[in-house]
Amino acid sequence: MTGGKLGLVFFPAFDWAITPTHPEREERLLYTRDQIEEEGLLDLPGIREYKPRLADRIDADRVHIGVPDILSLITDAHLVSAGGAITAAEAVLKREVERSFALVRPPGHHAMRVVHGTRGFCTINIEAVMIEYLRRHYGIRRVAVVDTDVHHGDGTQDIFYHDPDTLFISFHQDGRTLYPGSGFPEELGSPGALVSTVNLPLPPGTTDQGLSSVLDNFILPVLDDFQPEIIINSAGQDNHYSDPLANMAITAQGYARLAEKLQADIAVLEGGYSIEAALPYVNVGIILAMAGLDYSRVVEPDIAKCPRQPAATTGYIDNLIKEWRQIWANREKLKREAIAKAGDFWQRRRQIYYDDSGISERQQETVRLCPKCQGYLTVDTEAEGYSLGYQSAFATVVNRDSCSACRSAAYDAAHQAKKQGRRQHCYVQDKQQDILIKL
Amino acid sequence: MLLGIDVGGTFTDAVVLKNGSILAQAKHPTTHGKLLDGVLAVMDTILRGMDATRLERVALSTTIVTNALVEGKTDRVNLMLMTGPGMDYRGLLPAEPVLLSGYIDHRGREAAPPDTKAAVAAARDIGGIYAIAGKFSVRNPAHEQQVAASIRKTASPLHVSLSSEISGSLNFWRRTNSSYYNAAVWRRFGEFAGAVEEALKRRGIHAPVHILKADGGTMPLPAARQLPVEAIFTGPAASVLGIMALAEPDGEAVSLDVGGTTTDIALWRNGLPLFAQRGARIAGYPTSVQAFRLKSIGIGGDSFVAREADGAIRIGPERKGPAMAVGGDQPTLSDAMIVAGTAAFGDARLAAEAMRQVARPGETEAETAWSILTQAAVEVCRAIREMISEQASEPVYKVEDVIKQNPVKPDWVIGIGGAAPGLAPLVAEKLGCRCRIPENAAVANAVGAAVAKPTIEITLRADTSQGSYTVAELGLAEKLPARNMRREEVRELAARCLRERAAQIGVEAKDIAVVYEEEFNLIRGFSTTGKIITCRLQLKPGVLYTQSHGEGCI
Ligand SMILES: [Zn+2]
Ligand SMILES: [Zn+2]
Repeated sequence: MTGGKLGLVFFPAFDWAITPTHPEREERLLYTRDQIEEEGLLDLPGIREYKPRLADRIDADRVHIGVPDILSLITDAHLVSAGGAITAAEAVLKREVERSFALVRPPGHHAMRVVHGTRGFCTINIEAVMIEYLRRHYGIRRVAVVDTDVHHGDGTQDIFYHDPDTLFISFHQDGRTLYPGSGFPEELGSPGALVSTVNLPLPPGTTDQGLSSVLDNFILPVLDDFQPEIIINSAGQDNHYSDPLANMAITAQGYARLAEKLQADIAVLEGGYSIEAALPYVNVGIILAMAGLDYSRVVEPDIAKCPRQPAATTGYIDNLIKEWRQIWANREKLKREAIAKAGDFWQRRRQIYYDDSGISERQQETVRLCPKCQGYLTVDTEAEGYSLGYQSAFATVVNRDSCSACRSAAYDAAHQAKKQGRRQHCYVQDKQQDILIKL
Repeated sequence: MLLGIDVGGTFTDAVVLKNGSILAQAKHPTTHGKLLDGVLAVMDTILRGMDATRLERVALSTTIVTNALVEGKTDRVNLMLMTGPGMDYRGLLPAEPVLLSGYIDHRGREAAPPDTKAAVAAARDIGGIYAIAGKFSVRNPAHEQQVAASIRKTASPLHVSLSSEISGSLNFWRRTNSSYYNAAVWRRFGEFAGAVEEALKRRGIHAPVHILKADGGTMPLPAARQLPVEAIFTGPAASVLGIMALAEPDGEAVSLDVGGTTTDIALWRNGLPLFAQRGARIAGYPTSVQAFRLKSIGIGGDSFVAREADGAIRIGPERKGPAMAVGGDQPTLSDAMIVAGTAAFGDARLAAEAMRQVARPGETEAETAWSILTQAAVEVCRAIREMISEQASEPVYKVEDVIKQNPVKPDWVIGIGGAAPGLAPLVAEKLGCRCRIPENAAVANAVGAAVAKPTIEITLRADTSQGSYTVAELGLAEKLPARNMRREEVRELAARCLRERAAQIGVEAKDIAVVYEEEFNLIRGFSTTGKIITCRLQLKPGVLYTQSHGEGCI
């Protein structure tokens, strides 16, 4: 260990905004910057600051199928933000630091595999880009993502929905009360990856008490069972009691304790829009906790405004944990049954909304359930929007472990679609060759 | 006429300059323990036969503050902190602090009032020296001022240092350490300043006295009495200023001050040396004292040279005595220079003997000398490259700054110090640069002190939605003169503050430069409620005149 305990990639993107008055604007991490600098955190011997690198196009193409291509949909800021996550991860894997925190923007956890535009402030999924980078360059296989943003991390869920090597756990404010309206317990992953997606919708008003209950009684034991090589925390901070976009009641102390218990190898900032009352304190709390330092003095000035957790909420959460423990205990059986029921192919159809870009997408995914490998995936997509007009695409995905039969089937399907000409763009995302081919 | 005096580790040097030319120079061994004796001795020598009343300025680069710290001749300090929420600083400070409740938030708003009663109650009778620091005091110095006022009212202190007056930058930890050290050396520096003033008066010298600071600027002695911590580590600053005056680096450059045991490397851009990103460390504690970006490596003229068992040449980092050419008993880098013909002193036959001690079988003395010098140059080049890449990999907070990578690409290598002629040209050749070794490089530090310009820095932060601004360094927190001020208007307001400050301490406010600016729109509920504009202005470090352009530059 040469550099210390915590690597910090701080990138507030002071010259980037979605629009001037959007929550994702220049000002978002200004007060966080102020607090971090004023504390003197960057001078601590146990904390080392890193400059973010720029992600390459291939780093995004390894994860996403951008229509018509990913570079036309993103700005340099996205490449810095994703590159910042990669920088943070590499600092850990090169053993320069014990763990790291990519305190970067723009965020990414609502960005799905297919990208037509920006949704939930996200265009590329920075955690997914980082994870696939680590798989490609560091031979990492088993990864756990714990998404602690108040919004369901539907993009990350989508990208890893068919991947049994990625455990995706998200707790969030119940989708019946908040964007993006998903993240229910029955979303478990496709049959080959069943129960590697774990959703814990929590009632509005959940406090540190509820959070710590979910963590101690479910998430931590599940992580112990799964035995990931690395743990990623999608560290959104909009569960804070002062956040303007949601209705939860977590404090800076709650977030710091979460970071301390979770012991994530890499944390990546996601949302968090209480830019003055929460972010400065939550981020200092997380940084201190991840660096193994005392965070007990990190208390918001208006802490008296934090509500208490209603008894009914406590009961609801206890029950949810009980149900989930059962699902988790039976996961092998549930998976066998789902595979048997699906047969050779599993399919789903969805509508996906891009709130920032004003786009509506119709998508159909088909997963080949192969007895010899993780199969392959085909995605058929059509999108419509005000400024977009209409665009369509067909893509197939060859997995890292796809057998030769699945591999050729994936290529055949894409070539056939191209020949038929029903879709404007056709792609093969070949994870074995690390290439996105546009036919 | 300008008089510059540099108190070095071994010698105290003095120069008198007129229109950029050196009229006289003198040298006296540094009188450790009684620095002033050596200063006065060298001054009396150099001014002999001169009309001292014609001096326009006397500037001192002194180790008085550094020595006070090294020798432990500092005062105990009542350190009082208002830390607010955040880190636990216990164990991270040079003294055990008294923690007071009350704090200011990141916008400069009072979150809870300071407990001035507790401050008064906690004041210990340890000599009447105080340092007070509050978190975010640069955004609103009121709490520090209130605590100071109650201490002044009840405890009749000798001195109170406020962190907001010592630095206008964020970083409570560094400001705390700076104000502690400022208070700790205040009395000792005051005694020195008093003795200097007295001695000059006795000699009929009425020119203003300036003290060199770590940031390469000077400040008038009366102002320095309140900010003595700024006068730490002035040796390297004097050397850099000397390079500026003697060599006038333009474009991008790297400078080497090749001394007896070390080479100090600095990077230059647009004729100015680069600053360290954060402040200097004092006794291991991070402070807000600004200093040049310097890297010191253990290679100098007296570095001993040996042949390792594996055949590699080892140079330094220790000094085991003088060059063999002047009676030392171990080969040194200087011996190699003498044999190679790039230095000329001592007995060349002894230097040749030194080379034979480290020669490979069958190698001539000259071949050995050149392989040693090449090796030294390689090591200096490696340090330069490291320094450039460290500078380029420092975090930046804008997309634009990540995209446009802009590492220093030196066109020039500038060498000063005794052993520079033997080393700097080799380094320049390896880097593909041109080399410049100015005349009079031996007295570069004293020249640097003599011609260094005064520097002042102020940070104005305007919060238009609150309708107020602060200038921490001046203890100012005022209402903005107008609503919706634009950046240019805020800059002009800051310039006015800087000019007032300059007038107050008797410095001419020429060449005000913008060091840093940022501007953010405040959006609340999807509409703009104001702006936060920060403007940091400085009288930049620089030289009153250079060797080649003496006339008319003062
Ligand atoms: Zn969110
Ligand atoms: Zn297969």
